[in-house]
Amino acid sequence: FSRSLQTVLFVALLCLDLRTHVGSAPICPHGHTGCHILSLADLFDRVIQHSARLHGLSSDLHSEFEHFFLPSKNHIGRVYRKCHTSSILTPNGKENAQKLAREELTEVILKLLTAWRDPLSQLHQSMAHQQDFNSFSSNKALELSDMVHELRKGVEKVTEKMQLLGMISNSVNGLSSSEALLPASESGEAMSDYELVYCFRRDSDKVQNYLKILKCRIVPEHGC
Amino acid sequence: MDKTRDTPVLPHFTGCRSREQETFRCWWSAGTFSNLSEPGALVVFFQMKNTPLSDWQECPEYTATVENECYFSKTFTHIWTSYCVQLRATAQNITYDEFCFTVENIVHPDPPVGLNWTLLNVSRSGLNFDILVRWAPPPSADVHTGWMSLKYEVQYRQRNASHWDKLDLESGTQQSIYGLQTDKEYEVRIHCKMSAFHNFGEFSDSIFVHVAPIPSKESVFPTMVLLVSGVVGLLILLMLVIFSQQQRLMVILLPPVPAPKIKGIDPELLKKGKMDQLNSLLSSQHMYNQDTYREDPWVEFIQLDLDDAGEKSGSSDTQRLLGFTRPGPKGDDDSGRASCYDPDLLPDAEGLLAAHCEMEEHHPLVSESGPSTPSPEATDAPFLPFRTQPVGQSWINMDFYAQVSDVTPAGGVVLSPGQQSETPGMNPDEKKKKGEDAGDEEVEKEKKLQLLVVGSDGGYSPEVVARQVESSAPYSPAPENAYHALPPEPGEEPQTWSVGYLVPDGEAQAPYFLPEAPPASVLPPVSDYTVVQEVDGQHSLLLNPSAPQSPACPPNPTKHLPSMPAVPMGYLTPELLENLSP
Repeated sequence: FSRSLQTVLFVALLCLDLRTHVGSAPICPHGHTGCHILSLADLFDRVIQHSARLHGLSSDLHSEFEHFFLPSKNHIGRVYRKCHTSSILTPNGKENAQKLAREELTEVILKLLTAWRDPLSQLHQSMAHQQDFNSFSSNKALELSDMVHELRKGVEKVTEKMQLLGMISNSVNGLSSSEALLPASESGEAMSDYELVYCFRRDSDKVQNYLKILKCRIVPEHGC
Repeated sequence: MDKTRDTPVLPHFTGCRSREQETFRCWWSAGTFSNLSEPGALVVFFQMKNTPLSDWQECPEYTATVENECYFSKTFTHIWTSYCVQLRATAQNITYDEFCFTVENIVHPDPPVGLNWTLLNVSRSGLNFDILVRWAPPPSADVHTGWMSLKYEVQYRQRNASHWDKLDLESGTQQSIYGLQTDKEYEVRIHCKMSAFHNFGEFSDSIFVHVAPIPSKESVFPTMVLLVSGVVGLLILLMLVIFSQQQRLMVILLPPVPAPKIKGIDPELLKKGKMDQLNSLLSSQHMYNQDTYREDPWVEFIQLDLDDAGEKSGSSDTQRLLGFTRPGPKGDDDSGRASCYDPDLLPDAEGLLAAHCEMEEHHPLVSESGPSTPSPEATDAPFLPFRTQPVGQSWINMDFYAQVSDVTPAGGVVLSPGQQSETPGMNPDEKKKKGEDAGDEEVEKEKKLQLLVVGSDGGYSPEVVARQVESSAPYSPAPENAYHALPPEPGEEPQTWSVGYLVPDGEAQAPYFLPEAPPASVLPPVSDYTVVQEVDGQHSLLLNPSAPQSPACPPNPTKHLPSMPAVPMGYLTPELLENLSP
């Protein structure tokens, strides 16, 4: 399964060309030679896998942070931290996510991904300047930033495909409002690195689950 | 904490867990405060850290069946939301414990179900086997919709071991276990966790894996039998070899003390024609024997011309041995080597027999440095490498020839070339006497030549034997083997040369002595010689002094000896010698 997925992803990468084009490009327009027309399910698989990687990486980074900054942890207690994305209304459970409209769900995903592009690059810069982190951790932050960017492009492609196929309406508009979000804590201070990492870990988990639920609703499979 | 009794333990939360990321439960303990263990004495309040911050609410549902458990249903479970729960005493306004978390971080999935195993294969030896373990995700976890993505970890151990072996995390629902042993029983269990999280759930029930060893005894037994039989066979073979080759082994292990041999050429070498070794031996002989030979001036030595051999002149070893050096006028090419055979002296009746070559030095057969011979060296006739030291006359084509002075009982021929300078008549007699005297085995001091002769002619056996036996050595059986023929080069001039050769093994080679070309003109003071007619079975020479010719001796080209009418077949009898001698 993983091999076929890899080949699919490779061809998808050729077609989608996520990195170079900022603007949305048609997915394998007719007449484009050498490009297989990928099904929506394949595209979903690709982005879901990407989001899983993203979440895994953010979780690793968070673990490293905890190791450095919070060595003594007896319980799983979490002090409430307000993330800058808390203003985005996100479904808090499976049923809520399943009840949400597809367009809204897609929009939420895009909002989240858009909101994290800049903060992650800031995180990387701030981590690179500090000597507490080894290069591996700061590279992870950079990689996270790139991955978020790629994933956003991928989700945009999927959205276009869905709109093309008529599965969702054309009212998805996830690019406009979220760009104004700035990472700011309650007290107005910029969030610390740890807070950023903590929040991003949570949000990447949200994105991953939302994408899965969306796929299950869009592409009918057994068990969905 | 040893003093648990003394140290009061406050009521506290023992944990909060979610099984499927949709609901969760919290448990608490009253601690040492027994008065608070009554139901209702402690209450749980929770707060969700949202914006806006909600109020503290009491536990939505205290589980009826389980003591001290607070259950949060789906409606109260918000993922990705921070919760804080507090344990408060009902009566007083005391908060004993607080615990904050987010739901996704307290998810401990239920154990997988349907754990089973199938045999993949058994190794050839029947000692190991591989199995494939299969399972199903926990029913409570919604993996189909993708709400939860699980990773599984399989653990196994031997029945009574204490340590569990862990396999790598698996995303699928099956995994192989390799390298289990057949006669042991294994216990396998599995648990799972959410991807990218660290909380493993409970273990599943263990399953037991046991594969009976495939007829191990039967498979082992024949191999043992084979092994034992192989070893026994090998031993028997070894014994056979040892016993059959006992002699050889004894020789190898306990090499016999070398008996004092007559120094000289190993007859084996001569037999097989190993000229290089022969040459080296002869040359070494030369060095060694130099002193001893000097003692007896009466003994002539056949001189081996090894200079050419050492120079790799291109002529074969046989040629060199026979004295057949490169054709062409050599003039005085032999440094100091007396040439007994001087073709120029052909007309000279004295120069015939090589035995008359003077010997000024006593060189062993092998001598290279020819004795300073006054005789002119000009011999363009190839001469044998060993030749008697010519005194002056030289044989024309005769390679050399030596007078057989005596025949040893062992069959060796004792040659004693006579001195050329002396009257032929005298010498033979004297020589003969001496020879006879020296013919005894005891007379070892004299240098006795043994052998040689080379027959280049086709009629003769092509083997030329040159051998010299040192007198110092007792007559060992070596003389018997002393006569080997060295094959002359086919391209040699059909000269012939010379001396007869003795073949101890009774080969039908002309066992006689063929002084083939003793041209009458070069009949020097030849000591009497005897024609060896043949060698009988006992390796004794049969001398036939009167036989002028050997039946097997083809008429030698007498071209070199035109003036030898009276010499039949090149034989020279003593009478002839006397006649011929000046």
